[in-house]
Amino acid sequence: MRALAIAAAVALAGPVAAQPGGRVVGTVKFLEADGGPASAADVIVYVTGFNEPPTDNVTVIAQKGRRFVPDLVAITVGEKVAFPNLDPFLHNVFSQSVPRKFDLGSFKRGETKEKQFPEAGVVDVYCNIHPEMAATILILPNRRHVVAAADGKFAIDGVPPGDWTVYAYARRATKPAIASVTVKSGAEAMIDLEIVRGPEPAHLNKYGEKYKDGGQVYH
Amino acid sequence: MRIALALLIAACVFPRAAHAGRTYYGWLFGTEVMPERGVELQTWIQEENDKYGTRTKETWVSWAALVGVTDQLELALPVELDWAAVEQMDGTTRTSFTFKRFGIEARYRMAPQDPAEAPPLVPLLRLAVKRDVISRDSVRLEADAVASYDAGAVQAVVDLGAVGDIASGSRHVELRPSAGVSMLATSELRVGAEVYSEISLDSVVESWATAGPDVSWSHGRFWISGMFGIGLYHVRIAPRVLWGIAF
Repeated sequence: MRALAIAAAVALAGPVAAQPGGRVVGTVKFLEADGGPASAADVIVYVTGFNEPPTDNVTVIAQKGRRFVPDLVAITVGEKVAFPNLDPFLHNVFSQSVPRKFDLGSFKRGETKEKQFPEAGVVDVYCNIHPEMAATILILPNRRHVVAAADGKFAIDGVPPGDWTVYAYARRATKPAIASVTVKSGAEAMIDLEIVRGPEPAHLNKYGEKYKDGGQVYH
Repeated sequence: MRIALALLIAACVFPRAAHAGRTYYGWLFGTEVMPERGVELQTWIQEENDKYGTRTKETWVSWAALVGVTDQLELALPVELDWAAVEQMDGTTRTSFTFKRFGIEARYRMAPQDPAEAPPLVPLLRLAVKRDVISRDSVRLEADAVASYDAGAVQAVVDLGAVGDIASGSRHVELRPSAGVSMLATSELRVGAEVYSEISLDSVVESWATAGPDVSWSHGRFWISGMFGIGLYHVRIAPRVLWGIAF
């Protein structure tokens, strides 16, 4: 569902003419499964329907305290992500996600490995040594994506005029929030979104096996 | 008598080289290497039956521990055992089973380890040095220049190998050119065909060649590849099976 949403957006997308962009603003309400509020700072909001070239930016996901920090990032198709190990022991980074399968091997403190992501989609990355480590990379067709503020407010600048689709995505969301938006040059388009946080799905190690503790669900 | 003696020497002193690294083929090296600090245990078993037009038979086993030194360089520590049955001039058969050789080998993939980042054409160089357990003054040197070309589900590989056995007062050199094609049948299964040859550059042993279908299956941390070699020249059947398990 997640990957399909982005893949479909890329398939339908095309480059846009250089016109003054508009702004998409709004609020995303992020709820726990029991209906309680969750911090919307764990939510990424993005617009799809058009393509933009990647930047030279390298997004960083650190391995620190047996966690990936941050555990959710958005990049543009063709950009790189760096994985520095800041822990005093070995970590591994791997993905079995269809858009980008890789295995960076095991590396020690102070070492950094990079990976480029040439195809759009959702890539879940894990550590083969520490099953509690999980992160997600959204590889998007353009640069119009932001992390929402803790109160849920967001603003995406430079969106080309047109009819686009807006998504709100969180790592443990049961499903992404989706809305349509019409953007006009120099104008603001308002939109509100709501998503619900679910449990962290269990995952397997890089060999497709349960981790040694029997496949515990990690949060 | 000279033929029997030559076969005995061939069986006891020049068993096949150990192959390291995951391969889709039976007799050919692949170009895959393990990621950094990856560890794998591998086993190779091969038969060469009725070589040189005689009833000489040989089964060769090698175990090796492999470690990924970097994402492009892996080291293997092979240990080789060899069983041979050599026909004698009087019609009897002499058998032997020996710890033949141990050593170290390096495989360097001249492209990124990640297939998504590597070009379709991937070269790999392999160098090995091995000590002979029986002929204590003998050293074996092995080299392979391997190139794989991936086009979608199909992969073609050419492996230009060479082996030299150097001892005090003697020297033997042979070339081992081989080629194969493998096609992805399912996400875990590949099928293909290959041809393998050993071309002796001296009179110590004779040349031979084989060809046949191969199959390779990978599942999680385990993989296995095998080839049923049908004799083309100076051998009747030469099957080979390899498997590995990663940790």
